[in-house]
Amino acid sequence: MEAVQDYTALKSELAAAANDHGEPKWVVDQRLAAVDNLADAALPEVNRFDIHRWPLTPAEPLTFSQSNGDLAANVPVAADHIQIVQVGQTTVTVNLPAELADQGVILTDIFTAFREHPDLTQPHFMTEIIKTNEDRLTSFHAAFLNSGIFLYVPKGVVIDQPIELHLVQDSTQEKHPLISHVLIVAEADSHFAVMQHLTTQGDCANLASCMVEVLARSNSEVHFSSFDELGPNTTTYLNRRANISRDATVDWAIGLMNDGDTFGDFDSELIGENSKSDAKVITLTGGRQRVGVNTRVTNRGKKSTGNILQRGVIMEKSKLIFNGIGHIIHGAAGANAEQENRVLMMSSKAHGDANPILLIDENDVLAGHAASVGQVDAKQMYYLMSRGITKAQAKRLVIRGFLSAVLQAIPAKDVRQNLTDTIERKLENGAEIE
Amino acid sequence: MATLEVKDLHVEVKDDEQNKTQEILKGVNLTMKTGEIHAIMGPNGTGKSTLSQTIMGQPAYHVTQGDILLNGESILKMPVDERARKGLFLGMQYPAEIQGVTNAEFLRAAMNSRRADDDQISVMAFLKELDKNLELLDMSESMTERYLNEGFSGGEKKRNEILQLLMIKPTFALLDEIDSGLDIDALKVVSKGVNSMRGDNFGSLIITHYQRLLNYIVPDVVHVMMGGRIVKTGKADLAKTLEKEGYAGLRDELGLDVELVDEN
Repeated sequence: MEAVQDYTALKSELAAAANDHGEPKWVVDQRLAAVDNLADAALPEVNRFDIHRWPLTPAEPLTFSQSNGDLAANVPVAADHIQIVQVGQTTVTVNLPAELADQGVILTDIFTAFREHPDLTQPHFMTEIIKTNEDRLTSFHAAFLNSGIFLYVPKGVVIDQPIELHLVQDSTQEKHPLISHVLIVAEADSHFAVMQHLTTQGDCANLASCMVEVLARSNSEVHFSSFDELGPNTTTYLNRRANISRDATVDWAIGLMNDGDTFGDFDSELIGENSKSDAKVITLTGGRQRVGVNTRVTNRGKKSTGNILQRGVIMEKSKLIFNGIGHIIHGAAGANAEQENRVLMMSSKAHGDANPILLIDENDVLAGHAASVGQVDAKQMYYLMSRGITKAQAKRLVIRGFLSAVLQAIPAKDVRQNLTDTIERKLENGAEIE
Repeated sequence: MATLEVKDLHVEVKDDEQNKTQEILKGVNLTMKTGEIHAIMGPNGTGKSTLSQTIMGQPAYHVTQGDILLNGESILKMPVDERARKGLFLGMQYPAEIQGVTNAEFLRAAMNSRRADDDQISVMAFLKELDKNLELLDMSESMTERYLNEGFSGGEKKRNEILQLLMIKPTFALLDEIDSGLDIDALKVVSKGVNSMRGDNFGSLIITHYQRLLNYIVPDVVHVMMGGRIVKTGKADLAKTLEKEGYAGLRDELGLDVELVDEN
């Protein structure tokens, strides 16, 4: 929140901490360049949503410390799963089957990757997908990065099992922001699914600045799903973005179930011809929570296809803004962009908005949008209740149905069930305000 | 033996577009008992669906006079779900579609809503009952994992209504035009389902335009409704007479001043 004043001192502190941490020079240089950007970078634009007073760039120095691995006790660790578990800055578990490692698959913490695989990380880390100098939040993230994961899937490798990324934010400590970066490189013709799970342990008020960059090379297919359930005292900034090459597909299924204020920026850059993306976001807000989401699809490639589907349920005195941004660049002939943004109001004291924003600079395209803010469907309620189901249970079923788009896209049954349980719990806890 | 009585029922609905209320039912009297199948026939726009929706408790229909009694107890103040748990069921003409909720999950929730918390139906017992009824209705097992009515054809929806009827086993089933949009094979299947429920503990009120359905589900009593009232009650052969002579014929015979919607 506090403006960073003394940039020279900050830079020397930052460089010292990064060097102590054993980071390669290019990483340290990138941090320092990011600090230079911080000086005059603006916050990103979020239509109809104000994040100016949020503690998104705390003035805490870069520090590295171990977290207690026991904080990951709730994470289902299984030897036959492909998974990486991190608590704060500490990597607790990495399970990567030997046959995948033999094929060249890399799953490791990001600082190890910076040291051991500079050829695979330096060209892509915050240079071409999310750029360091885009705005104040990206600059801050690059400067103060303190955790992360690198996933590399070589050409032609197909992984059937989902790759699990479990991040436990350690908020047992004060002034301990989680600034985590997941870099995913999908080489040509590779094919896999990634499931990210974000949770918080501890009650301290901290920032979580979590990014995911996906580079999807030609004809690759990446299915990314997330289950975000960071704690009530966490202010969250999420930025997930993919650059999608010719004939490649990146799908997003984002279950935004954080209990605290959240700004999410989800972005598919359809760069190559015939590239595809399907972005689904669901959320459920309660209390006085504020959630703002920009989901953007940019069609650059000819015949590229991008869909956005956002659905949110708002309870109590919460606020939710869904911006669906469809941008078709001149030259993207034959592009297809559809979006649907819907908000279900469970409380007259809650505030929700669904804004489709279409920016179309090409004539030969198909684009459409639908948006609504409304109440629970009375016809569906009547039907369920006419079978004896109570009003409360009928409502839960209708809402679950409303949010099911993302549930269906999650590849693991237990995660689907957990997300369903979380939705039910939030609905039960959300006091009804007519 | 259970009874369902409709006494001097007057019902109006509000037309939101024109912002005016219209009286649809103008004094309906009807008594049915378990063990009986009643049919209500009548021309379009005469209040047949209104009667079934009002008995079920659809909030858009306002009772202005009269009463509905289930086993002597007025149900007018009961919400829809309570009426259902008391034994009423409405097979709807246009069932709602609900994404994300499977047919099986919905059926279990509906069955369990009638049972005590410590007496919920077991998965095995549920599946056994489900398989039996799917077979009876010539329905594929895959229907149960599909989302409730979502993407179902008209015929599939009707079968699904009857599947619910067989699973829930209500005391009184109101079946609103379950024959509309069905081909003859589907009609036979649906009728078989309803007939399998016949017995001392089940009563049904079947609403239809056409006599055809009543060849397969032979009613004990036939009522003819026109202009918001029941104008004639008889045995099964009344339906056949109507089929021959039409509603206009009956109206003229009875000397009623009722305009038929489809009359030119």
